[in-house]
Amino acid sequence: MNSVNFNINFGYLEGLCRGFKGGILKQTDYINLVQCEILEDLKLHLQSTDYGSFLANEPSPLSVSVIDDKLKEKLVIEFQHMRIHSVEPLSTFLDFITYGYMIDNIILLITGTLHQRDIRELIPKCHPLGSFEQMEAIHIANTPAELYNAVLVDTPLAPYFMDCISEQDLDEMNIEIIRNTLYKAYLEDFYKFCSTIGGSTTEVMCEALAFEADRRAFIITINSFGTELTKDDRAKLYPRCGKLHPDGLAKLAQADEYEQVKVVADYYGEYKPLFDGAGTGPGEKTLEDRFFEKEVKIMMSAFMQQFHFGVFYAYLKLKEQECRNIIWISECVAQKHKAKIDSYIPIF
Amino acid sequence: MSGKDKISVFPSRMALTIMKARLKGAQKGHSLLKKKSDALTLRFRQILKKIVDTKVLMGDIMKDAAFSLAEAKFTSGDFSHTVLQNVNKAQIKVRSKKDNVAGVQLPVFESYRDGSDSYELTGLARGGQQIYRLKENYFKAVELLVELASLQTSFITLDEVIKITNRRVNAIEHVIIPRIERTLQYITTELDEREREEFFRLKKIQEKKKKIKAETEALIARRKIELAAQGVRTQEHASNILDDNEDEDLLFD
Repeated sequence: MNSVNFNINFGYLEGLCRGFKGGILKQTDYINLVQCEILEDLKLHLQSTDYGSFLANEPSPLSVSVIDDKLKEKLVIEFQHMRIHSVEPLSTFLDFITYGYMIDNIILLITGTLHQRDIRELIPKCHPLGSFEQMEAIHIANTPAELYNAVLVDTPLAPYFMDCISEQDLDEMNIEIIRNTLYKAYLEDFYKFCSTIGGSTTEVMCEALAFEADRRAFIITINSFGTELTKDDRAKLYPRCGKLHPDGLAKLAQADEYEQVKVVADYYGEYKPLFDGAGTGPGEKTLEDRFFEKEVKIMMSAFMQQFHFGVFYAYLKLKEQECRNIIWISECVAQKHKAKIDSYIPIF
Repeated sequence: MSGKDKISVFPSRMALTIMKARLKGAQKGHSLLKKKSDALTLRFRQILKKIVDTKVLMGDIMKDAAFSLAEAKFTSGDFSHTVLQNVNKAQIKVRSKKDNVAGVQLPVFESYRDGSDSYELTGLARGGQQIYRLKENYFKAVELLVELASLQTSFITLDEVIKITNRRVNAIEHVIIPRIERTLQYITTELDEREREEFFRLKKIQEKKKKIKAETEALIARRKIELAAQGVRTQEHASNILDDNEDEDLLFD
C-alpha cells in the first residue's frame, strides 16, 4: 500500500502506537529510578510516568516478580488492543509477531508432556501473547509425536514443523535445537511476508529481521563452543535472511573459537564495531549488551518513517527492552547491589 | 544424692583388695576420659571457627549468585520454566563418609558431579554466556553449602558427645571415687574393730583360765592337807607304769 491510502485503514492504530511510544521512559526517568533505595520508591517514581498506578493494588511488601508480571500484563493489554482493532494485512503482520512467543510456549508444553507434567499447570506459565486456541487441547497427547499429529498441525506454526523436523525427531532432538530450528523457519517466513507487503514496511522490517538473523547466528556460534553441538547441526540453525548469508554463515559454521568469529564479523561494516571492545571483564560491555544497543538504535530509526507497519514491531521490541531495564534496576535495588545498576540499555 | 552412701559389701580382707583394685580402675578411667574430653573440645573449637568463616563466605557467594541470576534474566528473558520442566535427575550428588576423632564417628559430606550437563544448550540463542556464569556461581554456592552442612552436623554430634563425656568425668570424680573411698574406709574400720574384739576376747579367756587354774590348785592343796591329816599317803602324782620304774607289786627288785 502507499502513503496516500495508509491512513484509511491503519491511521488510528499507527497514531495509537506512536502515542504509546511517546510514553516510553526517558533518560531522566531512568536517573530517578537508579537513585531509589527500596522498591517502594521505584513504585512511586513509576507512578509519575505513563505506567501510572499499575502497582497500586498490590499488597506490600513488593517483590520483583510482581513488578515483572504487572509490566508484562500492561504490555499484553496494549498489544492485544491493537491486534483486535486491526484489519488485513496488519492483522497478519501482528500475528506474525506473536508467533515468536507461540514457539516458546509450544516448546514449554512439549517439555512438560515429555516429563509427564500436568498440562493445566503449564498453561498459566505460557506467555500470554503467544497463546493459541489449541493450547487447552494439548493434554490429550502423551508423546510429542501425538502432540504434533493431533494439535500442532492445526496451528499456524505447522509449516515450520514440516519444513525442518520430522515426527521422529520431535522425541529425540534436544529441546533447544527444536526451538532454534523453529525460530529459524519463523524468521525466514516473516522476512518473506514483509517483502511481499512492499513500500517502507519492507525497507524497515527487512533491515530489522536481517539484524535479528545475523545476531542469532553470531550468538549461537559463540554459545555452542564447548558443547555437544556439532558444526553441521549448528549450521542448520542459522537463519538465512540476514546479511551474513551465504558467505558469512559458511565461515561461521567452520569457526572453532571466539577469535575466528571476530574475524568473520570484521568483514561486515555494521558488526565490526560491535565486536571491538566487547568483553566479559568488569566495566566492559558484553557482546550481548552491544547487540541490544544496536537493536534499540534500529528500532528507534523505524519510527522516523511514517505509513508502515514497522512501528508496531519496533514499539513491541522497545517496550520489552524497557521492561527488562526496569526489572534489572529493581533487582539491583532489591539486592542492594548497585555496582552494575547502570548496565541497563538506555532507549532515549 | 545422699552423701553418706557406700557400696554394701561384707567387710573382709578380700573385699578390701577388690575395692582397692576398683579404686585404681576408676582413677585410670577418669584420667582417660578427661583426655578424650580435652581432645574433643579442641576439635570443637576448630570446627566452630571454620563454621563462622564459611557462613560469612556463603553470604557473599549467595549474593553473587543471586546477582548473576538477575544478569542472566536480563539478557535471556525468563528461562525459569524451561529449566523447571526439564528437571529429571540430579547433577550434583552428596556422598557421606565417617571421620574418626578420638573415638567419635563424625559424618562428613562431599559433593560430586554425576552425569553430564543437561542444560548445556539453554540460552543458545540468547544469554548463553550469562547462563554459563550463573551455573558456575550456583555450583560454587552448592559446594559451599554441602561443606557447611557437614561442619554443622559434626558440630552438633561433637557437642552431644562432649556433654556426655564431661558428665561421665564429673560422675566419676564426684560420685564413684568418693563412694569407693568411703567403702574402703568402712571396711578398714570394720576390720580394725574386729581385730580389737578378737584381742579383747583372747585376753578375757586368758584371765578366766588363770582364775580356774588358781582355784583348782587351791582345791588340790586343801585336799592334800585333809588327806595327810587322815594318814593316807599321798603321792605327789598318780603312778604310771610306763614312766615309773617302781612297781608296788614287785616284791624283789
